Amino acid sequence: MITCGIDVGSLSAEAAILVDDKIEAYSLIRTGPDSAETALSALRAALEKAGMLQQDIEFTVATGYGRVIVPFADRNITEISCHAKGAHFFRPSVRTILDMGGQDCKAIRCDRKGKVTGFIMNDKCAAGTGRALEVMAALLQIRLEEIGARSLDFDGDPVKISSTCVIFAKSEVLSLMREGVPINEILAGLCDSVAERVKALVQRVGIEDDFVISGGISKNSGVVKRLEQKLKVCAHIPEEPQIVGAVGAALFARDLLHK
Amino acid sequence: MITAGIDIGHQRVKAVILENDNIISHESRVIAGAVDAAAKTIFHGVLDLAGMNAASIQRLFATGVGREQVTFADGNSTEMLSHVKGAHRLFPAARTVIDVGAEGSRILRCDSEGNLTSFVMNDKCASGAGIFLETVAAMMQIPLSEMGPFSLDSADKVVLTTTCAVFAESEIVAEIHRGAAKADILAGVHDSIAAKIALAAKRAGVEEEIIFTGGVAMNIGVARGLEKHLERDIQVPQNPEIVGALGAAILAGKMRNR
Repeated sequence: MITCGIDVGSLSAEAAILVDDKIEAYSLIRTGPDSAETALSALRAALEKAGMLQQDIEFTVATGYGRVIVPFADRNITEISCHAKGAHFFRPSVRTILDMGGQDCKAIRCDRKGKVTGFIMNDKCAAGTGRALEVMAALLQIRLEEIGARSLDFDGDPVKISSTCVIFAKSEVLSLMREGVPINEILAGLCDSVAERVKALVQRVGIEDDFVISGGISKNSGVVKRLEQKLKVCAHIPEEPQIVGAVGAALFARDLLHK
Repeated sequence: MITAGIDIGHQRVKAVILENDNIISHESRVIAGAVDAAAKTIFHGVLDLAGMNAASIQRLFATGVGREQVTFADGNSTEMLSHVKGAHRLFPAARTVIDVGAEGSRILRCDSEGNLTSFVMNDKCASGAGIFLETVAAMMQIPLSEMGPFSLDSADKVVLTTTCAVFAESEIVAEIHRGAAKADILAGVHDSIAAKIALAAKRAGVEEEIIFTGGVAMNIGVARGLEKHLERDIQVPQNPEIVGALGAAILAGKMRNR
């Protein structure tokens, strides 16, 4: 049985191809202006890696912010459900999932079968999302991928970024730079403020072990480590945290095909 | 009696010289460098405009977020108090003052005497603040002062679906790529800012007359949007930016009389 899951997010899109219960191939691309085009590119990239053709796919489920515009999908399922299902696939003992994406952040609770029992999400404000880190990387002229490691190079209590709003935080960072605060310390302060913001979300939904973090920001060790310290828990991060939603969608496709 | 008021905002400093209820001179400048130096520079600027020297000023009050950094002030007053005083002087029927600056907004209520009775403020989110307009002006390559009039030509305003100014930037980029008319995008931005301010104002409660002050009030697009969302008329002073400085100058005079 061959199924596919497509997750079209605000900043990146992923496709995962499942053969029975095994991930055969996946792709990860940047979201373009046209969601339908983006979804198709992600699918083609995954098909190519799997050495398959589009007609080999028996059922496709789309998820994510752009899910309704995926023309070749047989079904749409919310990213909340898909993230819980995907996280459960990677770690069956998961009960709390934090998905930190490009333009939103969700804290999800699930039962032992990976079914959603509650969630809280922030998609109204850029603070605490991947976008905040992107804006800061551009401002400091460093690569997004460098932020985590460089922030951990700084020991001790970093400068506090007191603004919640990313736009105000930009002015704050600019004055810190002018004052000569080292970049790595500013990065540590930024990671701390993202972790602080996300912590509030997780605490509101309530945390129960195991705790899994998915989404692009989970690749940022600076944010993850600080969040673990603040929440006093150990976070489990899937090998490729950005495909959790797409894998969840492909698993739903498998279930739907079974029926 | 001659008094002066200096209003230190997040981005600009404003000053007014007041002689027996008449505004003799006023100015607004970007704050470059230290606050105290910027205050001194503008103080000399308004003195020159008035043809006066520092000795003619009987009392000087500072207001605004940086008011405590003005070392040569005789006293200071909060921006809430100053805006209400200034607005009430210009419009004696004022009962609500909506002040929107570069980094925040305040909804102020006052009684018939111009006494502040309540206020709410937002300085946490840029979506209803002047800095959002500046970002858009830079993106659309249009001078800040031309945005308002330009947006009035819009026939089919763009609807921004996000509240956050950071997310709105991506939406605007998408609209530019889609080929939306500049006026339509600007009208959409103004409407979104106005909606955000109106929401806060409705929560605080508004009573007429409503006076719109601060740098953002110079944008006719936002002002019209605010009227639409509040379903009330609003009054915009000729120089909405200097209302806080005017209020500080008035309060400086009152202190003297005690």
